[in-house]
Amino acid sequence: MIGKGIRNTVVIGFALLWLIPIYLLIVNSLVPVGDYSGAPSWIPTRFGFFDNLAIAWNQSGLGAGMLNSLLYSTASAAIAVLAAGLAGFAVVVMPTRRPTLWFWLIYLGTLLPLQIFLAPLFKAYVATSLYDTNLGMILIYSAICVPFAFFIVRNYLTTLPPEITEAAKLDGAGWWRLFFRIHFPLIRSSLFAAFIFQFTWVWNDLLFGITLTTSPDRRPVMAALAEINGGFSSLGPPVVLAAAIAVSLPTIVLFLACQRFFVSSLRAVG
Amino acid sequence: MQTTAPERAVGVGGAASLPGGGTSRPTRDRLSAIPFLTPGVALVGLLLLVPFVATVYQSLTRDNGFVSSFIGLENYGRLLRDPTFGQSLLNTLMWTIGTLILPVGIGLLVAVCTNSMPGGRWIRYAFVLPYALSGTATAVIWGFILRSDGALNQAIAFFGATPPASGWLLEWPTNTIVMILASTWQATGVTVILFMVGLQAVPPETVEAGSMDGASGLRLFWHIVLPQLRPVTIVVIGMSIANSLRVFDLIWLLTKGGPGAVSETLAVTMYRQTFIISDYGFGAAVAVVLSIIVVGASWVYLRQQLKRT
Repeated sequence: MIGKGIRNTVVIGFALLWLIPIYLLIVNSLVPVGDYSGAPSWIPTRFGFFDNLAIAWNQSGLGAGMLNSLLYSTASAAIAVLAAGLAGFAVVVMPTRRPTLWFWLIYLGTLLPLQIFLAPLFKAYVATSLYDTNLGMILIYSAICVPFAFFIVRNYLTTLPPEITEAAKLDGAGWWRLFFRIHFPLIRSSLFAAFIFQFTWVWNDLLFGITLTTSPDRRPVMAALAEINGGFSSLGPPVVLAAAIAVSLPTIVLFLACQRFFVSSLRAVG
Repeated sequence: MQTTAPERAVGVGGAASLPGGGTSRPTRDRLSAIPFLTPGVALVGLLLLVPFVATVYQSLTRDNGFVSSFIGLENYGRLLRDPTFGQSLLNTLMWTIGTLILPVGIGLLVAVCTNSMPGGRWIRYAFVLPYALSGTATAVIWGFILRSDGALNQAIAFFGATPPASGWLLEWPTNTIVMILASTWQATGVTVILFMVGLQAVPPETVEAGSMDGASGLRLFWHIVLPQLRPVTIVVIGMSIANSLRVFDLIWLLTKGGPGAVSETLAVTMYRQTFIISDYGFGAAVAVVLSIIVVGASWVYLRQQLKRT
């Protein structure tokens, strides 16, 4: 019994410790920026969150960044999931030659650290005028998202009994009909899990954002936040913290609402 | 006889329906996979694999962004002699070890303790919530806490102690250690989730049988539960290490790898050498070394994954 008491105290203590940064983030984002004393507050007094956010939104391009990232995340995750679904289908269901080779060719993309792609991409983007364009960002984010989505979809497809394919083939269905009529509905939930996971990944990326874009109306949201953070003293900490909350809310809501799907994507990794 | 109709439908050419199979139908089927594979393979091939090969080649050149010449392994030789690279390697090692102990250890502790606790779900949310934040947002929060006029120093002063004069981010190894702690704060959520998945897979009968034999508390955990968690532990460790080797945004926002280059890891060194100093060949060599380490570290858990697939 005593052991249990100690155990519960330790865990609750850790949990409280974990919540302190979040608490500080919220409380200080509420302080009206004009009232900020120069020292962090620990107790909420007045409510200036929306005024702080408005400053970040209008003066520092947070709004444009949010819209850009919404476009990049949605389009790239959708393209990647569709491409991954088709490739997974080809490797698992169709009688493709050397499925293992194709698997590794695509999967290699998640093994390597992103840094290895950066410099050649930068040079190629500048040379082909893809640098600092929406299309360029959607393309690279799609490519980055394909391997992991492919991994999830492929794992799921291998659990389907092959009889499904055989039965449909007996009915004379071609591959495309087979994919869209039979397999697509079956893998829909794993595609959705991959979509949510990749949407979050793209939304949270900073590295490609600062490497492949430069203008505020092409820049994704984390690059905008990084720049706002650079003005920590001039803008005032409450403005920067309010911006950090605003950019995090979409992914937090998505994460909490779709936790089941997150866990299933992570399970596929495990 | 049932098979003839569909075969005719699939292989329009007459030879396809011959028993024993001519070659035309399988070949057609193989070719029909091409449009399915193309979008994925083209995206990954053009935007990831080609740049990968280009970086490997680039690491064998001297390139300032304008002129480039082949110099063999000279960049790697420079790496070995460069003291900032040694520092970067040392920091990378500290990140790896720190990640191995902290998020994995705390994640295991939290998962095991909250598993059977009433309201454990709610306690877990405290750890899972930061996982939904980006590295950039995490850096903003921790920057606010760690600044010399930040919340941490304020709290230290409140309890009557003297905060360190130079702050938390200006001196090595303090800056690397506090950044590892900030990363632990953000990354523990995912290890909690994965360990929970692992714990739910432990059959309750095994635990019951163990407690019937008189095992309890720590012994029950050590001898009965932990061995069952082995596969998931390997995955968690592998994933955590691979992720810690890739940390960029947190360091970039908190210290830019500085002061000087003392808090750089390989991921940051590569970025600075390439995009700030424009020493493309040297930056590429750093990227190659980083890739070798990441793939090597991932290998352990990859083997686990592939066993299952």
